[in-house]
Order: sequence, then C-alpha cells, then structure tokens
Amino acid sequence: MILLRRQWQKLLEFLFPPETDKWLAVFRIGMGLQVVAYALFLRSDWHSLFSTTGKGLVSRELGEAIASFDSPLIPKLGWLVAFGQNVGLGEETVLSLTWACLLCMGSCLVLGLFCRPAAIIAWFLHVCAAESGGLLAYGADNFMTMALFYLMLSPLPDRYCLDSRLVKTKPTDPRLLGFWRRVLQIHLCFVYFFGGLAKLLGSGWWNGSNLWRSLIRPPFNLLSPDILVRFKYALPVLGISICLIEVGYPVFIWMKKARFFWLVCILAMHAAIGLTMGMYLFALVMIVLNLAAFGVGIRVPWHLAGGTRHSAQFLPKQQLSP
Amino acid sequence: MISKRIYVAWVGIHFFLITAVCFAGLFSLVAERATILPSALDTYARKAELLAASLLGKHAASTSPVRRSIATYLHAAGIQSGYTFFAPNIPGYHKLIFELNYQDGRVEYESPHFSGKAAALRLDSLLARLGDNRYEPLREVVVKMLALSIWRERPDVKKIRATFGLVSPPSISEFEQGKGDSFQPLFSYDFSLRNDEKR
Repeated sequence: MILLRRQWQKLLEFLFPPETDKWLAVFRIGMGLQVVAYALFLRSDWHSLFSTTGKGLVSRELGEAIASFDSPLIPKLGWLVAFGQNVGLGEETVLSLTWACLLCMGSCLVLGLFCRPAAIIAWFLHVCAAESGGLLAYGADNFMTMALFYLMLSPLPDRYCLDSRLVKTKPTDPRLLGFWRRVLQIHLCFVYFFGGLAKLLGSGWWNGSNLWRSLIRPPFNLLSPDILVRFKYALPVLGISICLIEVGYPVFIWMKKARFFWLVCILAMHAAIGLTMGMYLFALVMIVLNLAAFGVGIRVPWHLAGGTRHSAQFLPKQQLSP
Repeated sequence: MISKRIYVAWVGIHFFLITAVCFAGLFSLVAERATILPSALDTYARKAELLAASLLGKHAASTSPVRRSIATYLHAAGIQSGYTFFAPNIPGYHKLIFELNYQDGRVEYESPHFSGKAAALRLDSLLARLGDNRYEPLREVVVKMLALSIWRERPDVKKIRATFGLVSPPSISEFEQGKGDSFQPLFSYDFSLRNDEKR
C-alpha cells in the first residue's frame, strides 16, 4: 500500500512539475505564426481546396463524407457553410470569412490578444479545414491540430501576452503549467519513437536510398540531384543518423547532459526538411513544438552562468504554489 | 485546479489511444510486408493490428456511440493517424496525366495543379492516396473531379483521357549512368461531354 502510494506520488511529481509560463508564451507565439503562415500559404488556393462540387479541385463534400463515415460529429467546413446559408451568406463568402478569421486568430495568438478564445477558434477552424480537405491533408495538418488542441487546453493567458497587461489576471498554478508542458513532452516522445522505429524497419533508411528518393521526387525536389550525387557517401550515414536521433529521442531528451545536443539535432533535422524539401509548415510546427516542450529553460553546455536550475527557481515568488 | 486524479485519468486515456493508433500503423506496415522483418511475422502483425484497431472501436458498428466518440476525439486532437511518415521505405510517386482532346483535333497534356507550393504538397498527398488500394472505390470519382477542374479551364475540350501511374525514380547509380524516371501506367479513364454533363 505504501509502495503504491509512493509510486502515485512519484507519478504526480512527474506529471505536475512546477513551471513558469515562458514555454507557454513560446508555444502561443509559435502556433500563432504557424496559423498565420498556414493561412497565407493557402491564400491563393483556399477556394480551390474547399469549394463544393463543380468549383474546387476535389469536392469538399467528398472529404466531409469520408470524415462523417468515421463520425458525423467531426467538425467540418460544411457546418459553417450551412450556417452561412441560413443567414444569407454564399459558400464563397463563408470560405473567405473562414480564411480571414483563421488569419485573424493567428495574429491574435501572436500578440496575445483574447488568447483563449483565439486558440479555441483557431483549433476549430483548422480542424474544419483539415477534415473537409481530408484527401488533401498531410502530416503537417495532424501536428497543427494536435498543437492547437493542446494550446487551447493549456492555462492561457501567459504573463507575456497583451491580455495580461490589459486585464489583471490571477497567476496560473505553476503545476498546471508543468502538467501541460509534460503532456507535450510525452507526446513528442511518442511521435519520434514511432517515427524512428518505422524508419528503422525499412531497408532504404540503412543504405541512404530513402533520403535520395525523398529528395529527388516532386514536389520535394528543391535540390538538384547532381548536388546530392556529390554527397552520395554521406546519405547512408545521414539516413541512419535520422533514425537513431528519432528513436533515441524519448531517452536522450530527458538526460540533462544530452538534452541540448538532441534538441539541436532534431531542430536541425526539421530545418533541413523545411529548406531542402519545401515542407515549411511541417518544419515550423515541429520546431515550435520542440522549442516549447524542451527548448525553453534548457541548459546550454558552454554557458558558464547557466547551470542546471530546477524549473521552480525560475518562478516569480507569487507564482509558486503553496 | 481540478483534481489531479482527473488530469491523470485523462492523460492515461489520451496516451493509451495514441499508443493504439501508433501500434496499429506500425503493425499494418509489418503485415503488408513493407518492412525488413521476416514474413513469418505477417499473420501475427495482422492480428495485432486488428487488436489495436478494435481498441480504437473500429470494429464496432458504424453507428456505435463508442466508435463515434473515439473517432471524434482522435480527429479533434489530431491523433487519428500514426507517425510513420516517409517510412519504412519511400516508394515511387504517383502521377496523373490528362490527355486533352480538343474539338479541332488538337491534343494537349496537362496535370492537375494548384497555384501555390503549399497546396502542391497536398496534391501529392492526394495522388499517393489514389494509389493506395484502400482508396480504390474513390479513385474514379476523384479523377472525375480533377478532370472536371481541367474542363472548367478549357471548355472547348471534347474528351479527356486520364492516366494514373507510378513514377519510379532512378537509384543513385542509375542516375549517374544517365537513367531518368520511368512511368508505369496503373489505370486510365475516359471522360467525354454528354448532355452538358461531364462523364
């Protein structure tokens, strides 16, 4: 019984470490930028992506039918269009308003204005868009939905946002802040472990051919194959390194001595994916997630003054829980 | 602060679902013989995949509230699919080519496209899905929609032949020897105008 109680206490200490809201500010601003970039990148194709049969490239209704097969409760743009029609707005107007609203919510998140409502609306609109364009969705959409879901549930506002300056708010419980950061950290460990494991099971990651294939296939072929050929002996090393960095993430990211190195490797990997394959949205969301989860407050090995401090030491006195 | 027990219970359920989704994806790859693991594991992997899927309520009736609730939560949290991107191997990519036959006898070739780069990534994702056998029932409908989008831009086209195929890029050594991509057609559809409808 005592052993069980001790384990329970250990679990609570792990899940509820005291934290400052710095990570949340990074997460909020990062996701705000992500939402803004998402809206701007899709600006010219927004109607082609989400219009109904006869107007878009692939009918929105098809994506929504697939989503509804899983569950009719999954949010979709069709709900907004139907609502718009009830108040006399056409499909095109509703889609344009949705786009503008998404851009606006992203800007609000960056500035820290109406943080919680902005996070909820941004999450809702993004889920609607991702599900309605289900056939055209890719990995970045899942990560964006996931990140906005956590952001919406996190204890906003943080003390760096405009909301906190305009309206005096009660300081958030540091253990609640720690809890949501922990959830984010654990989730990233799942992401990289399973991603790395799946890669290790493919022969192409051991001999570099997967890297070659991923970098020369359209629309990811930003680099000339001739340049890649020059580095052909480095490709197997890079391929294996990617697998090891990913599969080792859940172990080494928790080790104080290895954390900085591992984080830099992961960030470099995502930056490289963004720059060499043109997957800017995917790269940005992964960088934001990593910085928020493990980057804020990290010990830089060569920074003499920055010894490891318990996160509670960063807290202003009034924020510490009793 | 709400009771810590509630938070812990939510974390338990949340990560249990993520684990089930990730294992379902991983076992599916093994069962499809896409990995370097011995084929003797296929049957076990298939059984494990089914078990993981049943934990997610996928074997319940489509109207089951449990199945719907789990699916809604997974989609809302963005955890409905695993993290096996670019894994275990990267196959060739798919291409859809439209042969446009004009009324004056001209023939042009066109591919579906978006104007922005970000949306082009999405088109690649769509084509990859069309190549997947699980999406076979949707293929013709989607290709028809894509053909329709071409038709809107070129109303004087009389007939469209859509050819969907797999492009296999060369390996590094083949590339050094001067070999380029090879295209293997998988299926094709003919669409023509009838009664002002695109068929």
